[in-house]
Amino acid sequence: MARVEHYAAPRGLKEAARRAAERPATVLAGGTDLMPQIRSGKRALAPSLVNLRRIAVLRGIRRDGDGVRLGALTTVTEILGHPLLRQRAAVLVEAADHFASVQLRNMATVGGNLCNASPAGDLIIPLLVLGARLELVSWTGTELATRELPLEDFFVGPGTTRLGPGEILAAIRFPLPPPDFVARFRKFGTRPALDISVVSVGIGGRRRNGTLEQVRVAFGAVAPVPLCGRRTAAAIDGHPLGPDTTAAAVSAAAAEIRPISDVRASAWYRTELIQILTARLLRDVHHEGH
Amino acid sequence: MSITKAISFTLNGQATRIEVPVDMDALTMIRDVLKLTGTKLGCGEGECGACTILVDGTAVNSCLMFAVDCDGRELTTIEGLATPAGRSVLQRAFVEHGAVQCGFCTPGLVMQGTYLLRQNPGLTVADIRRGIEGNLCRCTGYQKVIEAIAAAVHEIEKGDRA
Amino acid sequence: MTVIPKETLIGRRIPKLDAPAKTTGETRYINDLALPGMLHGKILRTDRVHARIVRIDTSAARALPGVHAVITAADTPGVPLGHGRDNPPLKGDRVRTIRDEIAAVAADTEAIAAEALRLIRVEYEDLPAVFSVHEALRPGAPVLHDRHPDNIPFTFDYSHGDLAAGEQASDVVIEDTFKLHYVTHCCMGVSGVIATFDTTGQLTIYSQTQIPFLYKRDIAPVIGVPPDRIRVIQPPLGGGFGSKLDIYPFEPICVFLARVTQRPVRILFTREEEFIASPTRQPVEFTLRSGVKKDGTLMFRDARTLHDNGGYTSWGATTPFVMMQTISSLYRVPHCRYHTTVVYTNNPYAGSFRGYGNLQATFAVESHMDRLAEAVGMDPLALRLKNAQAPGETTPQGMHFITCGLRDCLQTAAERSDFVKKHATNRAGQTGPIRRGIGIASLVHVGGGANIYRTDGCGTILKLDDFAQATVLTGASEIGQGSETVIAQFVAEELGLPLTSIQVVNNDTEITPWDVGVHASRTTFIAGNSALRAARKARTKLLAAAGQQLGADPATLDLRGGHVVDATSGEARLEIGKLIRSLHFAGKHEVVMTTEYYEPPSVMQDREFKGNVSATYAFGTQAIELEVDTETGVVRIQKVTAAHDVGRVINRLGIEGQIEGGVVMGIGYATTEDLMVSEGRVLNPCFRDYKLVTAPEVPEIDTTFLETLDPHGPAGAKGVGEAPAIPTAVAIANALYNATGVRFRELPFTPEKVLRRLREAAEGKP
Repeated sequence: MARVEHYAAPRGLKEAARRAAERPATVLAGGTDLMPQIRSGKRALAPSLVNLRRIAVLRGIRRDGDGVRLGALTTVTEILGHPLLRQRAAVLVEAADHFASVQLRNMATVGGNLCNASPAGDLIIPLLVLGARLELVSWTGTELATRELPLEDFFVGPGTTRLGPGEILAAIRFPLPPPDFVARFRKFGTRPALDISVVSVGIGGRRRNGTLEQVRVAFGAVAPVPLCGRRTAAAIDGHPLGPDTTAAAVSAAAAEIRPISDVRASAWYRTELIQILTARLLRDVHHEGH
Repeated sequence: MSITKAISFTLNGQATRIEVPVDMDALTMIRDVLKLTGTKLGCGEGECGACTILVDGTAVNSCLMFAVDCDGRELTTIEGLATPAGRSVLQRAFVEHGAVQCGFCTPGLVMQGTYLLRQNPGLTVADIRRGIEGNLCRCTGYQKVIEAIAAAVHEIEKGDRA
Repeated sequence: MTVIPKETLIGRRIPKLDAPAKTTGETRYINDLALPGMLHGKILRTDRVHARIVRIDTSAARALPGVHAVITAADTPGVPLGHGRDNPPLKGDRVRTIRDEIAAVAADTEAIAAEALRLIRVEYEDLPAVFSVHEALRPGAPVLHDRHPDNIPFTFDYSHGDLAAGEQASDVVIEDTFKLHYVTHCCMGVSGVIATFDTTGQLTIYSQTQIPFLYKRDIAPVIGVPPDRIRVIQPPLGGGFGSKLDIYPFEPICVFLARVTQRPVRILFTREEEFIASPTRQPVEFTLRSGVKKDGTLMFRDARTLHDNGGYTSWGATTPFVMMQTISSLYRVPHCRYHTTVVYTNNPYAGSFRGYGNLQATFAVESHMDRLAEAVGMDPLALRLKNAQAPGETTPQGMHFITCGLRDCLQTAAERSDFVKKHATNRAGQTGPIRRGIGIASLVHVGGGANIYRTDGCGTILKLDDFAQATVLTGASEIGQGSETVIAQFVAEELGLPLTSIQVVNNDTEITPWDVGVHASRTTFIAGNSALRAARKARTKLLAAAGQQLGADPATLDLRGGHVVDATSGEARLEIGKLIRSLHFAGKHEVVMTTEYYEPPSVMQDREFKGNVSATYAFGTQAIELEVDTETGVVRIQKVTAAHDVGRVINRLGIEGQIEGGVVMGIGYATTEDLMVSEGRVLNPCFRDYKLVTAPEVPEIDTTFLETLDPHGPAGAKGVGEAPAIPTAVAIANALYNATGVRFRELPFTPEKVLRRLREAAEGKP
């Protein structure tokens, strides 16, 4: 059994980073992924447990220049109820609405959802569509260092990220989409929310004369990491919305995903669903434009 | 065993101070250490909602919460809902509307229902159905649970008018 | 003058007596009980599906501080348990399923016990395994139990009429093979038990059993304690549904640990363990051949079923008893044959589960009724009505339907759902990816017990104290279904007492009289009749005494509102408490205490499985409306219209809950639940991946009760605990056909499986 020998729940980020750098540490945010992983033995706690909960600077959603900054400890419920996000980043709110259950939304944090690095992580897909970047902090020995990383470069494999030893995800930023930006998220499941995604799809872009431009596409649960659908995006970008573009996007999607078969779905079914959901999202966007 | 940490919090209105291992979950603390067994362990994964409690007024799955995270907060468990005047409106509605069969999921559902009512006293049936998505019940088929929460909405509205 | 009008409790909405404490957290389930000095037991289960145990090394586990005992088969008598007596609690030489118990630990805490399990080393020699009934039946297949070299522990055969004649007389003959999958009970409270010996060797078991008295008999030889030295106490149950009808290895193991340590020991499953190591519904491969005349008259039915028994035999193996009733008797069928082969495999094993095989049998029979209707150009309702049983019939299997609401159920469900019109409209052709469908299906199930032992009875002791408080000691267990409240209603009604004056004691074999157990939808009927009769005896005694005191003819008196009243005017003449006190104290030295052992008017079936096995039978029909997304395979149930012949409604609130809960369980069986078993291993032992229906998915449920007033039923009631779960899945299959034109013969209808089937059908597979 893993034993935790050191515990800290500091109020400052600096102190947290220092504690996390001192010795191998587990960083605790909402706990909703961590606790069951420990209990089932899928993950062992490090000798040091650093609890971020009391760090005020990691909380809150605020305007940040042309963008939005989500503190890593922002809960899913906070995203769901936030007026600015509802208005300008509805795709993220939509994903938050399909996230687990009320109780879990009250506990789970956006930072935790990202750091858990599940290919099915519900908030990751819309954040990829929104072009999110991450603010990562670490203790150099004398001071707090900050680096930025595009979200799409963050994931390495299921449960693994580019977080360095002792590094802490502090915030997620994304530019506030312009008024002509449209985006959709669809998670496949038979329940409204309490489902691990079998697959999920997010599509966003700027609407211009019957086309979408600067398109971003992301797919969940169809590769070892949440996947940016670059080829699918290219098939849509600048092409007139309609059956031909949809067909091109659907075949690009099928070609670039790398789904596996597991208890939740076979690779065949995931491929079918990605195609259907992609087509339906594009149809929605197209029809809404008329 | 992991190191322990002294924490203090309010539990059902009562100031509480205890030492818990830093890797213990809040549900184990409530049930095994504080001996309040009304809150149930159904799955330990946040999938069934039997362990729902209120922390600072917010419904959470206590099986997923680290006990140390209770430090400085206000906890309400099923044992804390009734007042000297008796069971709460929702507790009575669960009885009167047949929302209880084996009853194992009931404390979690009552806590979640309480949370939903406090968040939004004008809950619709659709809100109730979505709101208890995280609570599994094998006996009732949920129908009577939904009716009970809806009846409590009605009772509370009546009370406000009166 | 105080006048007390005649009122009845029967049919009213009565809140469950045990509900208030369940809403406050006061109710203590086995999970919440701790005896002084109690140790925590845990079981080491194998990770092999079929292997010889070469060596078990428990030395490191024994050495762990906080561990009080580590036991293996060598420390136990090795007497097997279960319906087939083929399942030793701890396996010493060989494991046959992934759940097999090979060692157990008792320790100061659960964490220490879990740690100790990790320190036990087991060396195996793997054996060839079989994972399907077909493999297991092949010559030369690996043998699971030497006693059954053919891997067949049981077969069942039933027949009536002349099958060949029936087939010859048929204008249309169809045959299909249906595959029904594994699901499991998912009681919200996991399995658990506490065992404790007192200093004289008397054993008390805190058990979740649904059969406390048979439990004593059955566990005694396994643990080597005589039944008269065993007391079974049943704390409130976190769900039963049939899962606690047999004894499973963890229970004797707990007793062994308590004996070795001389301390109370509790074993509680984890949720994962519950999925892996509690019983399942029986998976069945069901081949059915049926024929009708052109006018829709059913001529014959020939059923052959293969049951995957798993590695050991629990009650799942005996579900054919019930299955054959639906095959022979739901509709009139002059020629019928049924054959079941139960086959050992290295898969998990099945127990009993609400409906007891009838979900599977009804799936096949009611799929065929739809197919036959289409073949002869009738609507599905008309074909069913033409062949439906009617009151007064005795079926060739010997089941006597004194009351039978089947036709009314069919008509009511059809009318309330507008079935005939919707069915025709949907079939006329739909476009677009979302298709609507409506399907109908009926059921018959025992509603007055099932006479499978030498008695199907239940005992009651009723006593009244000098404040007119009635205590009912009943053998029948409350498992959440509300039997306690129904029993209290019957007693209150007879004795003219308020419900608050009735206490029901139902959870301790040292106090309560004998009962068969909670199964076969029998408790309202049998325990209800027993309580009712005991109360009638007390009533007679009270009225006789009152008549004497008041100088009135007892026939002119009644008991109402805690008083003896004049039956005609309602005028209160005497308080019942005062009357009882006068019997106690006024030199009469009498107590009002009565007993009853109610035995229903049913018989054990003969060797050919013929005979009136139940005192009455429940019928019902469900019409289900759904939408299916033909591009993703998602099925959404829109509405369920249920019409059930319940004899008489006793507690409206309770019976609505039974119907709604049963329907939703049936929807889960059909559309969301799937215990995935691959090469003997359970792939999804968690609620994340084993999906119960959740609140937002529940459709509108319109329930109608048909009251046929059964002459043997208590106040006319029949048992209905199991009935509502039975026809739901096949009504959904029939609705899917109505929506898509594709016949679904395999459960479950989870999205991927539905989409695959639609694609397969599009490619020409019928």
